[in-house]
Amino acid sequence: MIAKQKSISKENLFHPTDSFLVSDTFPTVWCPGCGIGTAVYNFFEACKEKSIDREDLYIISGVGCTGKIPEILCFSSSAETDGHIIEKATRIDENNPDKKIVVFLNNADFLISGGEELKKAKKRELNILIIYINNFIYALSKDRAFPMTPYMRQSTHGNFEIPYNIPYMACSLGASFVARWTPIRAGWMKQSFVESFSVKGLSLIEVISPCLIYDANTGRILDPVERMAFYNDNSEIQFWVPLENLDIRRQKKIIIGKFLDKNRTHDS
Amino acid sequence: MTHKNQQVEIFVLEERCKGCGICVAVCQTEVLELSKEKNSQGYRLPIAINTDRCLNCGLCEMFCPDFAIWVTIKKEDVLG
Repeated sequence: MIAKQKSISKENLFHPTDSFLVSDTFPTVWCPGCGIGTAVYNFFEACKEKSIDREDLYIISGVGCTGKIPEILCFSSSAETDGHIIEKATRIDENNPDKKIVVFLNNADFLISGGEELKKAKKRELNILIIYINNFIYALSKDRAFPMTPYMRQSTHGNFEIPYNIPYMACSLGASFVARWTPIRAGWMKQSFVESFSVKGLSLIEVISPCLIYDANTGRILDPVERMAFYNDNSEIQFWVPLENLDIRRQKKIIIGKFLDKNRTHDS
Repeated sequence: MTHKNQQVEIFVLEERCKGCGICVAVCQTEVLELSKEKNSQGYRLPIAINTDRCLNCGLCEMFCPDFAIWVTIKKEDVLG
């Protein structure tokens, strides 16, 4: 069989997810090797697998590095101030109920000034997907400790508090899909994005993303590849773990995996 | 995955790449390498050295945080 021959010129070049992106805004503002870009790419791949067009989506994000996501998107999206993200989502859900609302949150939006966001999302019974990008640090103001800082790290005298257990918190509030991944497991992460589209109600996916500014005040900034390798060595996949055991402690490995899915029945 | 007679093309968009080197580290068959020359922003871009080994697994495309690299099969060689 003779196939048609087509010459590929430079004008015909396009990335597989370019239907979602504005190509003028590149390069992006994130550091080389940041985990946010990987999460966004795999989210679009999951949308393509579920055949969700860009007209069916609405993406909201907050402040900081995560708030730069709407800059590169070519469909309806917005960046809100801290603490008003779920309120915006409820307004959009009232006016266009067909749209799938996806929220990208960072630490400040999720735990500091937006501490009520998860409770509000459950209380108003939204069909919403929350992608929580957790990089253990305030990336733009470095020396402060905050609720997700690991024990004895990152502030002037060492943080003496133990970080929150986010999956357990989401489960106790009545979420219907809970998972946690690192960008190293990008294929797994994409698969749980796909599965969360078919779940009704609140679903939360925590992405532990490598931040290059972490430990910058000690003078040893790792390469992007070394940073990814660090998270690869210190994480461990376990499915259907009891949610009380998912604390992030210093001496233990980070447990990643899928922990709760109301569509699927399991024994353990 | 590729057929015997199929050829694979690897594209890198120069304006988007930041030279983090994740695609080079991720590639299982050592197709890519960082170049010695730099682009207009001072980053070293990945170059495909031996495209014969490429399996079209798509790992470099999946891990790229800057939407810069992707892999396709050459259009003349698509079966059927």
